[in-house]
Amino acid sequence: MQRAALALRPMLLALVVASPVLIGVLYAALASVGVAGAGASGHVALDRVVDVLSTRSTWRAIGWSLYVSASATLLATLVAAAVAMRFGTIRRTDRAARVLATFPLPVPHLVAAATALMLFAQSGLLARVLFAVGLIDVPADMPALVYDRAGVGLILALTWKEIPFLAVVAFAVRHSEHDALSEAARTLGAQPAQLRRLITWPLLWRGMAPAVIAVFAFALGSYETAVLLAPVDPAPLAVLTMERFADPSLARRGDAYVLALVGLALAAVAVAAHEWARARWSA
Amino acid sequence: MNSTRATHAARRGVWPTLALAALAVSSLLPLLVLLLQSVGVSWRWPLLLPEAYTTIAWRAIAGAALGAAALTSTLLALATAITSVLIALPVGRALATLRTPWRHVAAALVFLPVAAPPIALGAGLQVATLQLGLGGTFAAVWMAHCVPAIGYASLLFLGVFGARDAHDEEAARSLGASRAQVWRFVLLPTLRGPIGDALAICFLVSWAQVALTLVIGGGAVRALPIEVLALVRAGQDREAAVGALLLVVPAMLALSALRAGARRTTALPA
Repeated sequence: MQRAALALRPMLLALVVASPVLIGVLYAALASVGVAGAGASGHVALDRVVDVLSTRSTWRAIGWSLYVSASATLLATLVAAAVAMRFGTIRRTDRAARVLATFPLPVPHLVAAATALMLFAQSGLLARVLFAVGLIDVPADMPALVYDRAGVGLILALTWKEIPFLAVVAFAVRHSEHDALSEAARTLGAQPAQLRRLITWPLLWRGMAPAVIAVFAFALGSYETAVLLAPVDPAPLAVLTMERFADPSLARRGDAYVLALVGLALAAVAVAAHEWARARWSA
Repeated sequence: MNSTRATHAARRGVWPTLALAALAVSSLLPLLVLLLQSVGVSWRWPLLLPEAYTTIAWRAIAGAALGAAALTSTLLALATAITSVLIALPVGRALATLRTPWRHVAAALVFLPVAAPPIALGAGLQVATLQLGLGGTFAAVWMAHCVPAIGYASLLFLGVFGARDAHDEEAARSLGASRAQVWRFVLLPTLRGPIGDALAICFLVSWAQVALTLVIGGGAVRALPIEVLALVRAGQDREAAVGALLLVVPAMLALSALRAGARRTTALPA
């Protein structure tokens, strides 16, 4: 009873911090069913929700956005983990590698996307290098890496943007690795390969899991990278939401709230997974 | 025998060197491209380097929209950082007093504004700012930027206070220190590092915001990322590159501050 009373004030503070999102969810829900916002009829109607959720483009947007953010998160995680495993000592080259890997950490998503455009566009720097070595003759020969349906440019830009953050986490995890555990395994006869497979990798993965989930949520919600590098069809969820939000037609503007709810629901799943991972592994 | 050992050593030596070179190219090349783009003239296909160079776009910053936008962004980021840290500090401290499972529920709540897609967050916040009569104003964008920034800083302070030994506070209180005195003489001096980290993170959260500024500012608040996005989309590559570098430099400085703080608190590897 006393413990519950002690928990009340901090929980209220946490609710206050979350309240803009919770109010946003409430408003988006009311606007989705036609009670509030643009084109509101004043009474509850599920037509808009059903309309938006039964449209193929909505599901293509959700699926494509999940594919892009999952691919970028996976690539960034693999690179960050490999870098942390390879360059974990106090040697000078390892320290240089750590500085290089984390150097782009504060570069905004927008700058990553703008640079990707300059590098990967059909007349971008990569195409010029391929021309110089005789692999292509005209810009049209260059495979499309931006505005492409496979989302290669977008995935690469998001990967590049997220590697430094995951590398910082991976280095911190390795730094705090329990030497006693490895020592005990070695004393019991474990080979270096077994140590890596049974101790180092699992510890690294557990330590990185919350950050990996957070990166997935950031990549999923990023608007500026998507609007600069993604194709028109399928449109990513963030771009589709913004387009509907700015639509001159009031009826279509209301669709933005249904899409915003979808985005918030995906983020809520990521938040739950993040806390679960932290509770399970970070103690 | 000796030659086999030498081959092994060479093999061990080649891969780390290659990996290091790949890291260097991956980290530095994009910024080098931006720098060249910002000063390049007649950089036509298929030239690998520009034909000539000019600093015209850099010299024009002060009088151009980019200069005004950089000032707006600086003020926004400073205001966001200070406000968010002032709010998040007591929040993080209160959350650290919770035990599981409440602590996990509270951490999840505080993480929500961080993880919510900015565009979805903006769609909900826009109504509130309009109702307050602040639609499309600097104040509305500042408040909107504070929402994710407070989430980040609260999580940071939850971690800091969770790992902190509260005995010195108790000792000060038992010696008769008031609440204000505990903050002034015990908490703030020992928290200088984490407060610096939190200020840097919140500055960066605001500095890089695009979607929230677009939705809440309604195009009227011309922060630097909004200006850069418009330049990129208009194909004005030289000005866009200057704007992009303007976005990177203060961010790098904020990170240096964060690193300096981290060395004191050993929260990050060197």
